[in-house]
Amino acid sequence: MKKEKAKQKRKFLTMEKRRVVEAYMFISPWIIGTAVFFVNAIISSIKLSFSDIVQLKGFVMEYVGLANYEHIFMFDINFMPTFIEVVVDTLINTPLTLVFSLIIAMLINRKAPGRGFFRTTFFLPVLLGSGYVMEQLLQIDATGAVGVGITLPAMFQGILGNTFAPLIQAVLDRITVILWRSGVQIILFLAGLQGISSSLYEAAKCDGATQWEVFWKITLPMISPIILLNFVYTMVTYFAAADNALVKYIIKSVFTDKQFARGAAMGWVYFAFAFVMCGVVFVAAAGLSKKEER
Amino acid sequence: MNASTKKKGLCLCSIMFPKRVDRLVATTKLKKFIVTFAYYLVLCSLAFVFVYPFLKMLVTSVMSDSDLVNITVTWLPSEIVWENYKVAFKQLGYKSYFINSLQITLIGTLGHLLSCSLAGYGFARYKFKLNGVLFAVVVLSMLVPVQTLIFPLYIQYSKMGLIKVLKGYVPILLPCFFGYGLNGAFFIFLFRQFFSGLPKEMEEAARIDGCGALMTFFRIMLPMSKASILVSTVLSVVWHWNDYFEPNIYITNGGDQVLPSRLPALYKLLNMEETMDLVEEMGGFLFNNGMLMAGTFLVVLPILIIYAFLQKQFMEGVERSGLTGM
Repeated sequence: MKKEKAKQKRKFLTMEKRRVVEAYMFISPWIIGTAVFFVNAIISSIKLSFSDIVQLKGFVMEYVGLANYEHIFMFDINFMPTFIEVVVDTLINTPLTLVFSLIIAMLINRKAPGRGFFRTTFFLPVLLGSGYVMEQLLQIDATGAVGVGITLPAMFQGILGNTFAPLIQAVLDRITVILWRSGVQIILFLAGLQGISSSLYEAAKCDGATQWEVFWKITLPMISPIILLNFVYTMVTYFAAADNALVKYIIKSVFTDKQFARGAAMGWVYFAFAFVMCGVVFVAAAGLSKKEER
Repeated sequence: MNASTKKKGLCLCSIMFPKRVDRLVATTKLKKFIVTFAYYLVLCSLAFVFVYPFLKMLVTSVMSDSDLVNITVTWLPSEIVWENYKVAFKQLGYKSYFINSLQITLIGTLGHLLSCSLAGYGFARYKFKLNGVLFAVVVLSMLVPVQTLIFPLYIQYSKMGLIKVLKGYVPILLPCFFGYGLNGAFFIFLFRQFFSGLPKEMEEAARIDGCGALMTFFRIMLPMSKASILVSTVLSVVWHWNDYFEPNIYITNGGDQVLPSRLPALYKLLNMEETMDLVEEMGGFLFNNGMLMAGTFLVVLPILIIYAFLQKQFMEGVERSGLTGM
């Protein structure tokens, strides 16, 4: 009986509709997850940012309008400086990370002896994690400055003098941080480079293209989707890093100072900015690809 | 001048002026040598940046107390001391916390593999109206930092009565089975890219022979996607093992904590207790660095061992993941 019913039911569904049902079956766990862990949390977080907690037990909330946001921008003397600092840092670090990881990926994409060793080396930061371990290794202090990356040897410090030595040290520190954050990006770029079919390169070679031209005309356009993915990924990891000064500040205000609503508001200001940034990147990417098509 | 024209030139030259060719060959050889040399120089100097902190950790971890205080000793310790490891092992409570970390890592990774491969397959292979919109939501969920949502999620879990259940691991692990959790969206993305790169003929043949959708997925597609499964497994294991943000918030009982979140405790412990007077005397923090570095190394050691075994397959998996076919 049951089987017959099922068969009858199936007859009513066209092939196309059945495919749609199947599709939703595959992504149903994710849809449930989105509803429970994502949309729900986002809505309550937005609500929280517009209210004040009257009673901690049972989280009784009261709508206060924009008071929390007002507080952040008008009264909180720590928020804006930290926010600007983090934003500037991210804007500097993201493109640099992309460039460095692309260069490294192209270097280890060559079939040269010893590349197995180098691949493992460049993946080391991912293995060692981003948390306490990395902080310990790079001795990153609360301000995000690196204490013990590669220090300039004393000899060079003497030669460069007091004006240039700290400058070069700062550059070295930044490069250390950037390289240590680019493990996943290198992997993704490597995957992309491997995916470019060698016949394209052969064709270019036959037509007498130089290495430089090959890079701009073949390699870069072919991996442009990965550049976009990496851009977003890099920005998000910088924004969401646990050792990010602003994230630390938010967590402190939520979990230590118990300013839940203000924390949520700060989180949303922060997220709104990250969202706008990613939106700009996406629009720019779409614009670029349209130009190419023309 | 590029390579092919140079070759042509060489051929011509060899007929007309055999002596000059020798010189030309010598210069190209020299050029090649210089290029190779420069290549390795750049690679090595880049690798140095990566290896430096790691080597520093290893060296510091086997230094004796006197070496640590001695400024002249930077790289070569006068004697190798294993005492640091013994103390760190004991102070970390390595055995029990290792098991905690292992539980979270294994279950979380399993959840990620299951839910993300299913969702990735759905997005890659089926055309339905909301495909684009829903996939945009996947990317969007990648953008929202965990830290912004942690508090509402905490309230939600406590309303659902999931806080402090099963050592407090439930709120950490449950999202993994629904495509969320640590970088869940990233894995969905990865699987989608991989599945859309696979040829369709195999599944079509299976479907024509009467294989159901789920059966096709588990029997045909999953066995074909060993590469991306391996890549996701390694990344998921590494991320779960190293994460301490969520465990710090959800796991309230100190004995149920994970290994990485024991490190600051170790640091504090060492600072507070027996060494405090000495630290003051030395006027610095260097003193207990050896033990701390030994502890840090012990925490990441399992990951390093796993990666050492899977390194080759992992890299091959990355190369075959077909990310350019977007």
